[in-house]
Amino acid sequence: MKSSLFKRVLRSKLLPLVAVTVVVVAFFGITTNGFLSASNLRSIMISMCLSGMIGVGMSMLLISGEIDLASGYEACMGGIITALLIKAGIPWPAALLITIAAGAVMGGILAFLVNKVGLMGFISSMAMISVYNGLDYIVTKAQDVTITAEHASFYSLGAGTVGFLPIPFIIMVVLMIIYGLILYKTEFGRTIYMTGGNRAAARLAGVNRKKITSILYINNSAICALAGSLVAARMHCANAAACTSGSIDAITAAVLGGVSFRGGDGNMGCLFIGVALVTFFNSGLTASGLQSYWQIVVQGLLLVVALCIDFVNERSRQKALSQVAI
Amino acid sequence: MAHSLEFKNIGKLYPGVKALDDISFRTEGGKVLALMGENGAGKSTLLKILAGDIKQSEGIYLLDGKEQDFKNPHEAILAGVSVIYQERQMIPALSVAENIYAGFLPKKGGGIDRKTLYANAQKIIDKFGLHMDAHTKVARLSVAYQQMVEIMKAYSRNPTVICFDEPTASLSDAEISALFRIISELKEEGKIILYVSHRMAEIFQVADSIVVLKDGKYVTSMDVADASEEKLIRAMVGRDIGDTYANLKRNDKYGDVVLEVKNLNNAKVHDVSLTIRRGEVVGLAGLVGAGRTELVRAIFAADKVTSGEIILDGQPVHFKSPHDAIKAGIALCPEDRKEQGLVLFRSIRENTTMPVLSELKKGAFLDKKKEKEIAQEAIEKYDIRTDTMEKLTTQLSGGNQQKVILGRWTNSLMKTKLLILDEPTKGIDVGTKAEIYQMVCDIASQGIGVIFISSETPEVIGVADTIYVMHNGRITGQLKREEATEEKILALAMD
Amino acid sequence: MKAKLRRMTNSKLFTLTLLLIVIIVIFEILSKGKLLSFKNIRSILQSVSVVTFLAIGCGMLLMSGNTDLSLGGVGTLGPMVLAFCIAAGLPWYVALIIALISCALCGLGNALMVNYLNFPTFIATIAMASISQGIAYLISGGKNIDMKDPTLNFIGTKRLFDFIPYTFIIAMVALVIYAIILRKTKFGRSILLVGGNAEASRLAGLKPKKISFILFVNASCMACLAGSLMCARVKTATTAGLSGSQFTGITAAILGGISFGGGTGGMMGALVGIFILNVFNNAMQLVGLSSYYQTVMSGVLLLVALIYDKIMENNRMHRAITAK
Repeated sequence: MKSSLFKRVLRSKLLPLVAVTVVVVAFFGITTNGFLSASNLRSIMISMCLSGMIGVGMSMLLISGEIDLASGYEACMGGIITALLIKAGIPWPAALLITIAAGAVMGGILAFLVNKVGLMGFISSMAMISVYNGLDYIVTKAQDVTITAEHASFYSLGAGTVGFLPIPFIIMVVLMIIYGLILYKTEFGRTIYMTGGNRAAARLAGVNRKKITSILYINNSAICALAGSLVAARMHCANAAACTSGSIDAITAAVLGGVSFRGGDGNMGCLFIGVALVTFFNSGLTASGLQSYWQIVVQGLLLVVALCIDFVNERSRQKALSQVAI
Repeated sequence: MAHSLEFKNIGKLYPGVKALDDISFRTEGGKVLALMGENGAGKSTLLKILAGDIKQSEGIYLLDGKEQDFKNPHEAILAGVSVIYQERQMIPALSVAENIYAGFLPKKGGGIDRKTLYANAQKIIDKFGLHMDAHTKVARLSVAYQQMVEIMKAYSRNPTVICFDEPTASLSDAEISALFRIISELKEEGKIILYVSHRMAEIFQVADSIVVLKDGKYVTSMDVADASEEKLIRAMVGRDIGDTYANLKRNDKYGDVVLEVKNLNNAKVHDVSLTIRRGEVVGLAGLVGAGRTELVRAIFAADKVTSGEIILDGQPVHFKSPHDAIKAGIALCPEDRKEQGLVLFRSIRENTTMPVLSELKKGAFLDKKKEKEIAQEAIEKYDIRTDTMEKLTTQLSGGNQQKVILGRWTNSLMKTKLLILDEPTKGIDVGTKAEIYQMVCDIASQGIGVIFISSETPEVIGVADTIYVMHNGRITGQLKREEATEEKILALAMD
Repeated sequence: MKAKLRRMTNSKLFTLTLLLIVIIVIFEILSKGKLLSFKNIRSILQSVSVVTFLAIGCGMLLMSGNTDLSLGGVGTLGPMVLAFCIAAGLPWYVALIIALISCALCGLGNALMVNYLNFPTFIATIAMASISQGIAYLISGGKNIDMKDPTLNFIGTKRLFDFIPYTFIIAMVALVIYAIILRKTKFGRSILLVGGNAEASRLAGLKPKKISFILFVNASCMACLAGSLMCARVKTATTAGLSGSQFTGITAAILGGISFGGGTGGMMGALVGIFILNVFNNAMQLVGLSSYYQTVMSGVLLLVALIYDKIMENNRMHRAITAK
């Protein structure tokens, strides 16, 4: 009974998600003028980048059973660091590398708190939100750090296009493909699923959970820092208020996309659709004239919806696992 | 040269309890050795030592004549020992193939060699004669199939020794046949097979020889050809009951029926009916997993009831939560006294008064004076060894902890009609056990009905007046104390 | 008598109070005497009031084994509703009741998500934070609303003997009430028992779910009061409101010895924790550090509190295992 590829796609979580996305796009496309125009689509694709990139790092963490709620703030910090470095005269490729390293350090702090000290990921990262937020303001003296026009090449990194596709979008997709391959094709990737899916089994198979979580925290923060830099590139400036909703957007997108909260499930393909769905939805709301504060409510509601779906999935999973054939 | 596995003088000591004592026996490749014994005989402990999960306190074990010392399960696997536990260790989101080869995925270049992975997995699946696709996510499989994947996982590591711990618990007949076919193939490949099970019929079908353990000690071994059910049961039971039970002052005055259960059903309990009279001690005997805890939890409303009636003092009752059951007069001392019975970091006083807080109110506040009286009452009644009632229960010994829980249910403010004790003497020393037996009888003398669950058959026979035996969620027999013997109970408890 | 003295000096409360005194002394010196000035103590007392309500709400929940990260959003929603109703002409006590009800509904939402939908507490409450914050925006249309009610403004800004703010008095009264509830009532006892072991409590006849509901609603109402008091002082309900303050409550509670794992702690400890937090923040301002440093420090303090709590927990576990 070899199930065909077709049947497997049908059964997967991907299909309903794609269907809903198509419906959302169609809805807004019909009701709002210019929603499906080339320029709007391009800007939507650019919007996808922040939550998409953060989502990549976040999904890896979620699958392994951990979380980093400070991701948005780490992105913000990344943008600020890059902007400051460029302003100080450092060429942008070097600035980017340093930023990524700084991100790694941020991840390292969390890894230390979770693995060495033994605190829980969510509360530690929440504490770090305050730390990074405050530091952002202190370092920028509460003002924008502008990247002047002479750094045109950096700007094009954030806002330029290759053909139809914006460069940040391409970077996001490339990251998703790379990490998707890691998850799917490498032993390391599979051990991430094991760590999140069944700790006891992972231990019996000799998996070093602490090493994996450390790597993933560092990885996540580095990606977030990079994401923040790209946003700064596009905006010509960095400030302490940027990217801050990134964490929630990324989590919503990931959970909608099927990355389970309890760990051990999810993949990059679903993340992509989740990101697309959330971004199209948000864009559509803005385009149809909905005020920005409604969006915050919707954001929260969307997260609740995503969690409900995850809850239902989890219940049916548990039911299947615990049925004893007497 | 055939493989060999030998245990020499293996012992395992836990604080207060000797789980294994001087175990020695040997087996060879190409043979199936069955490990039999009652609960607590030490079978699981022995397997865990072999699997590298725990370390023995004394003795050695040798594989192919070489002494081994596994520091963790991974080392055991690398040395060729595979254990298939009862609790499945599956990763639901991954495919069958990835679970089979978990930790040992075939690699090519930098990544996983998917082609080889799925091809090899499918080969094993086909060899086992199963209808399964190696790509299927384990989450989609039935429990029985997951068990099969577990077995294939053990097999994929090309082990020298494979241990099965109650492998047929969730398998249907067809799957059991498949399992036995696999086992005979493993025998032909010269592997050493250890098989732990309570199912006599299976043992006779699949095993070549049997080793019997009792109370952590080696009793005897015999070839299946020479064995019989009576011989085995006699080897597994029959210990010195001693005076502990003979000296008990029992209650012989029974009152009306206090609890009647009719055709009770839920996920783990099937069509159970029983009656308990006031002053009667009813024992529930059976093996682990027989459904006794599930039954009493259903009565206590700790778990949901699907169908059936519970009649308390002649009135049908429908409890929605333990709170309701307690108000009606039913009390439960849970099996796991630390996780489910006590709030460890709070005092004796607070733990003993938990169910009666409403009755301790004076106006809007708690009557601290009365509370202390109640707590003191419990301490004195059960001789709880402590200098103050403010001591945290985590600092008490197991026996005293159990007494705290008993004291909670039998103080003067509680109007308990039915007291349920689930494995009350687990992990408790002999002296305190005797105290608890007498306390149970004294409670019965006050006209309270008692349900007493124990996996130690002599205990059930010694303390209970009427004994129900359970197996697989059903009642398989009912005996009065006078006519009960360990053999009879064990026979009813097994299949 | 000697034993009692020894037990008192060994207690957590004693260590915390000592810590507070040390911090006061250090910063008094660093700020060249400004810390303990009349005016400054007054302003510390004012900020303590707001945090007290948050800490009460968070603390009670923590003790029962739960967390609530929505209090910042709820504490922004409450005053918004309050100001809106007052501006619409309703008397202040009616407006206050309506505000409390709206926040209570948020708490109810949290309780439902956590108890019946089994969402992880922190994510459920984060979602609620967004929702309540968003509703606050909706009501205000994105602008601040003036809160011009003579009674409220009096309570919010005036002080007894020109020294003790009325808000402080209200906060302390609330603290004492809750402390009494915790120590002397069945409900308070149940909270600690459920926090220590929810399943064992359920099997002993307590009702963890009911307690969870009550405490979530309580926390949201506390947040409402906190936000309202704060806005009463500045006479405006701001769109920023209490956002971000959910940590202040948690930090104060954990600093005050209420364990993150639940089951231990008390209101008196929380009070000391609140003071430690506020004195620290105030002192930083006096020494010349901007409010952003406070933000950083609040994160650091939370981490310190968590680490300290973890060490204490490890000690307890260790003692429990070896004491057999």
